[in-house]
Amino acid sequence: MNLYAYIFRRLLYVIPVLLGVCLIIFVLFNLVAPDPAYTLLGKHATLKQIAELHHELGMDKPYFMQYLDTVKTAFTFDFGYSWSSKQNIWEMIKTGAGPSLAITGPLFVFSNIIAISLALLVAFYRGKLIDKFVLILSIAGMSIPSLAVVLFGQYFFAYKLGWFEISGYEFGFPNFIPYVILPIILYIVISFGADTRFYRTVILDEAYQDYVRTARSKGLSELKVMFKHVLKNSMIPILTNIIIQIPSLILGLLFAESFFSIPGLGAMTINAINNSDFPVIKAMTIMSAVGFILFGVLTDVLYTVVDPRMKLN
Amino acid sequence: MKLRNILLSVMSASLLIFSGCTKKQNPNEKILNLISVTEIKGYDPIQADDLYSGREISKIYEGLLQYHWLKMPYELVPNLAAEMPTISKDGITYTFKLRQGVKFQDDIAFPGGKGREMEASDFVYSIKRMADSRNQSTGWWTLDGKLKGLNEWRDKNSKLAVSNYDEEVEGLKAIDKYTLQFKLAKTFPQFIYTLAMPFAYAVPKEVVAKYGKEFINHPVGTGPYVLPIFDQGKKITYTKNPTFREKFYPSDASPELKHLLGDAGKRLPLVDKVVVYVMKESQPAWLKLNKGEVDYYSVPKDNFASAVKDNKLSDELTAKGFILEIAPQLDVTYTAFNFENKLFHNKKLRQAMYMAYDEGKANTLFYNNTAFPAQSIIPPGIAGINPNYKNPFKGPKLEEAKKLLAEAGYPGGIGLPELKYDIPDSTTSRQMGEYFQKQMEQIGVKIKILSSPWPEFQAKVKKKSVEIYGLAWGADYPDAENFLQLFYGPNKSPGANGSNYDEPGFNKEFEVATQMQDSPERTAKYEKMNKFLAEEVVALFGVHRQAYIMEQGWLRNYHPTDLHHDAVQYLNIDTAKKAELIKKF
Repeated sequence: MNLYAYIFRRLLYVIPVLLGVCLIIFVLFNLVAPDPAYTLLGKHATLKQIAELHHELGMDKPYFMQYLDTVKTAFTFDFGYSWSSKQNIWEMIKTGAGPSLAITGPLFVFSNIIAISLALLVAFYRGKLIDKFVLILSIAGMSIPSLAVVLFGQYFFAYKLGWFEISGYEFGFPNFIPYVILPIILYIVISFGADTRFYRTVILDEAYQDYVRTARSKGLSELKVMFKHVLKNSMIPILTNIIIQIPSLILGLLFAESFFSIPGLGAMTINAINNSDFPVIKAMTIMSAVGFILFGVLTDVLYTVVDPRMKLN
Repeated sequence: MKLRNILLSVMSASLLIFSGCTKKQNPNEKILNLISVTEIKGYDPIQADDLYSGREISKIYEGLLQYHWLKMPYELVPNLAAEMPTISKDGITYTFKLRQGVKFQDDIAFPGGKGREMEASDFVYSIKRMADSRNQSTGWWTLDGKLKGLNEWRDKNSKLAVSNYDEEVEGLKAIDKYTLQFKLAKTFPQFIYTLAMPFAYAVPKEVVAKYGKEFINHPVGTGPYVLPIFDQGKKITYTKNPTFREKFYPSDASPELKHLLGDAGKRLPLVDKVVVYVMKESQPAWLKLNKGEVDYYSVPKDNFASAVKDNKLSDELTAKGFILEIAPQLDVTYTAFNFENKLFHNKKLRQAMYMAYDEGKANTLFYNNTAFPAQSIIPPGIAGINPNYKNPFKGPKLEEAKKLLAEAGYPGGIGLPELKYDIPDSTTSRQMGEYFQKQMEQIGVKIKILSSPWPEFQAKVKKKSVEIYGLAWGADYPDAENFLQLFYGPNKSPGANGSNYDEPGFNKEFEVATQMQDSPERTAKYEKMNKFLAEEVVALFGVHRQAYIMEQGWLRNYHPTDLHHDAVQYLNIDTAKKAELIKKF
């Protein structure tokens, strides 16, 4: 199938997916979540005020009309204003995306490079001391709760040694740099175990294929075998794992942003959930859904680049 | 060898890079570094329903009245008003003379970008904004039914396409440029306190018109500090308002605050810049304080044992110059019954439960034994509580509790259904819930704990779908009415009376008392009503908490307070002492 036709067809999937996402968030918000009026109006709310607020927020419209409003929001990307902070949601997203990416961007790049490199290394030395050492480190990394890593890192590296800022964030380059280094390092430590183990398994699966044995028996160097053959043929699962992380980058790190006082989208989403701020929750859910669809398409397209045997249909 | 050299070089380079990753403080700068423990929602005074938003808004905006910084109990003094209001004999008409020559901060919304003079009409406009239902102000309760014609204006305008701010309201008039008059619908002496709350601060209509919905991010008031734009960041930097009027540090103080008179007569504000860090997590905030990067912070629960012993700071902290400030808070924690459930009309059941509960142990477990056991709903420090009063039903009195439970018709808890105890979804609340469960188990009362996220918990209370629940109430203003109204029938859920207690005799007394001016007669009435509620055991009164604040040795004039939203203008930094103490960090 033609590449453009494929992309167009896949993008059409956005429509039913968004309709479904709208339905899910609408049902969750209207039938499961508590009435936000009680949170928004504070401790002295009266019945009359609650009714006025319901009217102002459009919550007194028939359910079908409210669902249509949600659908309209999803397709126009006009998210309106936050119920809680009264801020323009697009402005909130624009403001929060920078700080989130300032952490998740470098974290994404470095954690994947480190994990893939280590995975290649330990696959190369499988069963040797270094393999066992990295494996133990990975298991330890996965076992230690992330909160403990963050608390220790903040206390030891920022407070005791004074190498980094304890928390906070300043907008603009390079002002933000001192604030993001520590969370990036700590989250590399937190994520490296699971990533390294995953990539190691993928690479080892490939390393025992017949064609690798053939390559070795033909006398190719181990480096050539690992990089030219094994790594290349392991790229499909690696690529899937990497690209699927991209939409999450913009959503930020929910826990880290709160702990390091980073004004990113993760902290914004947590706040929105705590305050029953439906427009913000809706905006973030729709953005995630669209992000996952777009990057899903990109993954499919990249498969054909990495492995020409694959066909788009 | 080569590898070792490479490793050493990498390590040295890392150290050099990392050491450049932190910002060094200049102790000679007069900068206050503070922490806000919640997100700042924005800078619209009519939405300032929490303490922290109120504190930020009060750096920029001001109201007619404020609390005297150095007087305890709290005492109202004029702020933008030139003097205290003239109150008519019937207590209905309040006339304020405004300070002249007070300028709004410069902003492009004004002609030539220069802030104009604040006038009485600005208050008329600002209060109508609060009343405008389209603005969904969280402060409407302070005016609801209080000013003549304002509710009618609100109702009428909610039906129009655009609210008409030019339409006159009988109870809210600018008599001339500097005279403002309020006419109450009925006497309500507490009205004056509401004018010191951030909801009633003056905002200029040009700025609201210019920025529209973005006004929330463009604060322009008459206050001591300026914030050109709120970027929703976690670090908010305020600078001194260059056009701030002549306002001076007070020269008189209550005896216990006389030691804070060092800056008496100096022009306010005392520091050039205020930096507020929004930090919701206590651990990093505590580390920041201990590193000398913030000027004061409440001692976190988890660090209390290592930092404070016998109400004194540890030697290590004292050596660094830290000072511990302890101050009672105007609040009360309580376990409420939902009186819509007929089961709780059984007074002996409520009394038995209160007698079974050991608050002293709870104080040790959850407040490091720093709180005062509450005997009733009104906290100490407010007229209306007899300091020597002891609630006869306060536990632990297990045997009497068992006896009362039997008299209530449930000997050993037999026949009593399992009671649902609602709590917000947090570790401490769960621990408190489990403690309550254990305490009640001792007399045979079975408790089922239901935890929900805060919004859901709040909604359950407001919808009356709870049985028992734990809550705390902090004063909106220093008047017993603000606590007694928690059991006033017409305030039932979704109002502040989440207990839905509705006793006609109490309601009548409340209505009479709240229309009385402050007097020994009113205080006596408050005391009587407070005692009535206490012995009716309308709730299981927990504790009145105390603030334990650790401040830097270089911070001057600070004292913990619940109601001084505008405290920052009085705080000062001793730069010489800071330069000396910072070496110890």
